[in-house]
Amino acid sequence: MSAPKKRTFQIEAFKHRVVVDPKYAEKTWKILEHAIHEIYNHNASGLSFEELYRNAYNMVLHKFGEKLYSGLVMTMTFHLKEICKSIEASQGGLFLEELNRKWADHNKALQMIRDILMYMDRTFIPSAHKTPVHELGLNLWRDVVIHSSKIQTRLQDTLLELVRRERSGEVINRGLMRNITKMLMDLGSCVYQDDFEKHFLEVSADFYRLESQEFIESCDCGEYLRKAERRLNEEMERVSHYLDPRSEAKITNVVEKEMIESHMQRLVHMENSGLVNMLVDDKYEDLKRMYCLFRRIPNGLVLIIDVMTSYIRDTGKHLVTDPEKLKDPVDFVQRLLDLKDKHDKIINLAFSNDKTFQNALNSSFEYFININSRSPEFISLFVDDKLRKGLRGVSEEEVELVLDKVMMLFRYLQEKDVFEKYYKQHLAKRLLSGKTVSDDAERSLIVKLKTECGYQFTSKLEGMFTDMKTSQDTMQGFYASLGAELGDGPTLAVQVLTTGSWPTQPNATCNLPAEILGICEKFRSYYLGTHTGRRLSWQTNMGTADLKATFGKGQKHELNVSTYQMCVLMLFNNADRLGYKEIEQATEIPTSDLKRCLQSLACVKGKNVLRKEPMSKDIAEDDAFVFNDKFTSKFFKVKIGTVVAQRESEPENQETRQRVEEDRKPQIEAAIVRIMKSRRVLDHNNIVAEVTKQLQSRFLPNPVVIKKRIESLIEREFLERDKVDRKMYRYLA
Amino acid sequence: MKKEDTVKLISAEGFEFVIDKEAAMVSQTIRNMLTSPGSFAETQHGEVTFPEISTTILEKICQYFYWSLQYARGKETEFHIEPELTLELMMAANYLHT
Repeated sequence: MSAPKKRTFQIEAFKHRVVVDPKYAEKTWKILEHAIHEIYNHNASGLSFEELYRNAYNMVLHKFGEKLYSGLVMTMTFHLKEICKSIEASQGGLFLEELNRKWADHNKALQMIRDILMYMDRTFIPSAHKTPVHELGLNLWRDVVIHSSKIQTRLQDTLLELVRRERSGEVINRGLMRNITKMLMDLGSCVYQDDFEKHFLEVSADFYRLESQEFIESCDCGEYLRKAERRLNEEMERVSHYLDPRSEAKITNVVEKEMIESHMQRLVHMENSGLVNMLVDDKYEDLKRMYCLFRRIPNGLVLIIDVMTSYIRDTGKHLVTDPEKLKDPVDFVQRLLDLKDKHDKIINLAFSNDKTFQNALNSSFEYFININSRSPEFISLFVDDKLRKGLRGVSEEEVELVLDKVMMLFRYLQEKDVFEKYYKQHLAKRLLSGKTVSDDAERSLIVKLKTECGYQFTSKLEGMFTDMKTSQDTMQGFYASLGAELGDGPTLAVQVLTTGSWPTQPNATCNLPAEILGICEKFRSYYLGTHTGRRLSWQTNMGTADLKATFGKGQKHELNVSTYQMCVLMLFNNADRLGYKEIEQATEIPTSDLKRCLQSLACVKGKNVLRKEPMSKDIAEDDAFVFNDKFTSKFFKVKIGTVVAQRESEPENQETRQRVEEDRKPQIEAAIVRIMKSRRVLDHNNIVAEVTKQLQSRFLPNPVVIKKRIESLIEREFLERDKVDRKMYRYLA
Repeated sequence: MKKEDTVKLISAEGFEFVIDKEAAMVSQTIRNMLTSPGSFAETQHGEVTFPEISTTILEKICQYFYWSLQYARGKETEFHIEPELTLELMMAANYLHT
């Protein structure tokens, strides 16, 4: 009695109870057998549960369990055979209904039998390792009814026929179907699979193979996809209505394989309606469908991406290499933006913003934008155009939108330093001529460039803005201290530019008119008085001037001209007629600039304040110029633009290229030294790789150039070649 | 008490106990008798006869049913069993699957 609580009690059989009647077992079984018959015949209402239970209980207690069990098997088998016959006899369409009804009956009977034999289920069956009553009933049903030779194939055929009829549009009794498939599932998942699902999948594969063949011959791509999608949805709906949920993956797999995967290539490349056509025509619905369907197939999306990429590359390449389209840089960039917008929209609406699609789009743009070496220039010109006039009267958000789009194109550029070069030039022109529309927009773009490329990239651009601001202050100071002294001579506005920040051209001075020269000298002495140790030089090629002029009939106009033009016009204060040579001598303006400036003064209709003799479009060395007395204009203020080449001419372009190449040299060298300083020893290929990596945010260095830089560094004894391995370089501190 | 909520248990001697269905269903056997899908006589009349259980034992069983419900609700009290009833009570418990 050490652990009384843990002791388990075993109830011994009732030894004191003696079976009086030797036929006891037989008699009791008869009662139970009779009850089972009654249950199957729907006559159970008169039976006493307690009595039956007690009899079964006693039979088990008195070791007649085996007899009870085998009796049950026999009786049940007998009834199932009866049922089987009645099902077999059922006619055509009633077959399934009969089967379903009998199955329901059997289930109910089985439940009752299990209840009255509960004691056997509880004690005898586990100890004798028999099948529990309920499972026994299902197994017998399976073996006797479902697998009977006359029912098994008939059942399969009937079910498959119903599915076929539903696929061709007929309405079938789905409830009945569900009951039957449910029965198969209840009998065990392998019964469902072997007797139905396996055949179902085979038949479906055949069906869809044929159907897809027929569709692909007769439909265009969009229509085919619509049909495939509908079939796929039908199958899923079918599963949800009357099949095992686990069948869904299998049947959709069949549809995907037969209807999509086998025809994938053909669909994508279908003439007049394939993927490329959908992209061209912005068929969002169709594209979305294709995306959703192909996503189900391994490599399906890869195929779409490949075709889309090659299409975008082709279109883009065509766009950037078409000489017609290169004539107008603003339009060129606008086309690029439109192309990007179009595909962004497609990816957004049809491809659910799939990252891999976005990457493909980006890499395509990067590919073709860099095919044309003038892209950086054009993008900068586009910005210039927008910031000069394009953004007037546009809300701040829209400005941001345009700038963001430009930044996106900028990101694709490999030669970001070339862009910087042009951008600087264009920005300088905008700032000096006061043409920029919005300071906020300018600054916002610089901030964007800064976040994209870092401080270095924009420091000079920011320097330009600072110069503009300080110049304003300087001028205020200048006039405050010297205002009285100057009287009513010409007014001067100087912008002091820091050398290095601005894209200054080699100093091309000219002779300023005496009136101007005087005030310039005054400014020089004022400025140098406040800032010692600096040097001022005049960039006459970049300035502008406002002139008041009186013409023949006494009408006055204010002329807005460049510094050069001002110099020329001032000469006509003392003379009415001057030859080209005379002008050149007096002003010393460089030839090409002088020609351009004379052209704009004499050859532009409505702005011809000078007359040229003889009249012709081009300026020749022996031309003569006369002050045009008869000049008239509707406006008081007349702006005389210089004939400027907006986009660079071929030689200028070459020149800029060369400058860019020159600028790159020190950057590459610096990168090499930086790398070697930390690595000490490195082989050639690795240096090239690392340099490329370091500089790729600005430009893509050419390996040949890198090699030249390395050689130059070896000459200057920054590096040396390893004595054993000639491919290795060593850093010399 | 409504008739549907109660059940009549009749002992070998014919003594009738009317108790809550809920209490009776503590016994798995009685639960099956009352809920089996086929309409057995017990389900129809709402009474069960136990020809092999004496009144004394059946009374004890009914007490046990109510005690068991309370115990399940968290009221932990002792259920007293007179030693002389033990054997018969156990046989009945086996039969009733309690």
